[in-house]
Amino acid sequence: MNLASLSALVGEANISTTVEDRIVYSRDASRLEGECLAVVWPSHPEQVAGLVAWAEAEDVDLVPRGAGTGLCGGATPQRSVVVDLSRLTRIGPVDAEQRRVQVEAGVVLGSLNRRLAPHGLFLPVIPGSHRASSVGGMIATDAAGLRAVRYGTMADWVEEVTLVDGLGRWHHLTGEALRDAVGREGVTGFVVEAVLRLAPRPAQRTLSLVAFDDLAALLAQRDRWLADPRLTALEYLNRHAAEAIGWEARPHLLAEFDSDGGEIGDPDRIAALWQARDGLYPVLARRGYPVIEDPQIEGEGMAALLAWLEAEGIPTFGHLGVGIVHPCFSADDERVAALYERVAAEGGRVSGEHGIGLKKKAWTDAAFRAEVQRLKAQYDPHHRINRGKLC
Amino acid sequence: MLRELAENPPCIECGLCREVCPVFTILRQERISPRGLAILADRGIASVVFYQCTLCRACRVVCPVGHDPAGEQVRAQVVAQGVETEANRTMIENIRKYGNPFGPLEEGEIPKTLTCC
Ligand SMILES: Cc1cc2nc3c(=O)[nH]c(=O)nc-3n(C[C@H](O)[C@H](O)[C@H](O)COP(=O)(O)OP(=O)(O)OC[C@H]3O[C@@H](n4cnc5c(N)ncnc54)[C@H](O)[C@@H]3O)c2cc1C
Ligand code: SF4
Ligand code: SF4
Repeated sequence: MNLASLSALVGEANISTTVEDRIVYSRDASRLEGECLAVVWPSHPEQVAGLVAWAEAEDVDLVPRGAGTGLCGGATPQRSVVVDLSRLTRIGPVDAEQRRVQVEAGVVLGSLNRRLAPHGLFLPVIPGSHRASSVGGMIATDAAGLRAVRYGTMADWVEEVTLVDGLGRWHHLTGEALRDAVGREGVTGFVVEAVLRLAPRPAQRTLSLVAFDDLAALLAQRDRWLADPRLTALEYLNRHAAEAIGWEARPHLLAEFDSDGGEIGDPDRIAALWQARDGLYPVLARRGYPVIEDPQIEGEGMAALLAWLEAEGIPTFGHLGVGIVHPCFSADDERVAALYERVAAEGGRVSGEHGIGLKKKAWTDAAFRAEVQRLKAQYDPHHRINRGKLC
Repeated sequence: MLRELAENPPCIECGLCREVCPVFTILRQERISPRGLAILADRGIASVVFYQCTLCRACRVVCPVGHDPAGEQVRAQVVAQGVETEANRTMIENIRKYGNPFGPLEEGEIPKTLTCC
């Protein structure tokens, strides 16, 4: 690799091949390990197109990385150069009237929402990783999260994406074409900037936390809450997950309302409950269940899946309001295959929000793989960006 | 208040603590994030990177599993392996010789340079 030409592009201080950097950038939060050849930190979106041209000349491939909170090895390099976009942190002026803002890819959701608070606005897509995840990574994975039941996924909030593709070409994607970048996990190119739509920040929030004796009662309550227009989040914990964070060992629903729908109104108590919920996956990982899955099943199939997970003793939580659950497994648990057989039989999706990355390639179907190959041919025919991901 | 740890739960690499680390938020390089330091410590890498941690423990406060970066112990191990910054060496020497990290000072003199690790 010609590091001199790379250094001429971004500056010597913004590239590294040290052992330390190569180790820490060899994995993401999935802890799927690959091999990182070098790391680059672009400071401006313009530098990204130069990096793609450099990669073509050097015959190496590039891996886009935001905050590395991804859970499927999407940002894991495979003898690749990692492009860390964390320094692309410019937030443009907030258009409060049109409820829009332009941001660079490395902007962290938590910082963006702090910046938007004085305008009475926020980006309402809130993954459990909201304190750290980047807007670029959230667009690339079409993140969903805690408030998806009310606000949907990133696809509902992105108005325009500026994409640098595998040939170094710039695309300003809008409308239908956004589907070529949103949720494509970086296989079509680097999201370097985006125009986001924003929502008005509710004046009040309240929570309800209810433990149930059986699944039927829980699902009946889910249906009642789903019909409530004030609902903004509907989270599920089975008894194994609830017990892990010190709640009573019974299945729970945690519902959030944008007004007085819930009985918990104390802001400190609300913050503490959400903090416990945000920490659920790390706590389960620490307890020996580091493999987190994210199937999505609508309708009847969900009841059967939840009953199976509970009976098998598999700690599970998730965004029940939109049919996404997170069963967590030990590293060598063979029941993951049984899980995806059940999901396929019910017509569900392999991934509701985390993406496919490297981890879930084996569970994708032929139509999905054909679609990825079509996009690859159009945007990245030489496989310079996120080589070997998704299919 | 941080509680003393009977054991230090290992980092599970979720990355949730990145944005509270005062060093990471300036440099924005994973190796100096609490997660990066934990990965390097876990591999037994003796590196001057560990001197960049301020030992503030903001990361431990927000960490869902309560991982402690244990910067003092990690640095002691790194020093034992002969990996040290010039500034750290000077500071320790000054403390041993003069009882303060700044070097020789006249009575009432205010130090002109702050030697820090
Ligand atoms: C504790 C925890 C809770 C989580 N909760 C949720 C949740 O509720 N909902 C949810 O959806 N996810 C959740 N996640 C997963 C993860 O946080 C999301 O997928 C998030 O959107 C990833 O953002 P990131 O910036 O960390 O991306 P990274 O992990 O850095 O990258 C993710 C993928 O996007 C690609 N990518 C990153 N930036 C760009 C870019 N600028 N251009 C092109 N491609 C890019 C990478 O190559 C990779 O394939 C959680 C993760 C953790 C650790
Ligand atoms: S120190 Fe804690 S919060 Fe930070 S990455 Fe490790 S487990 Fe996550
Ligand atoms: S203790 Fe070190 S790693 Fe943790 S937040 Fe402070 S400076 Fe960062």
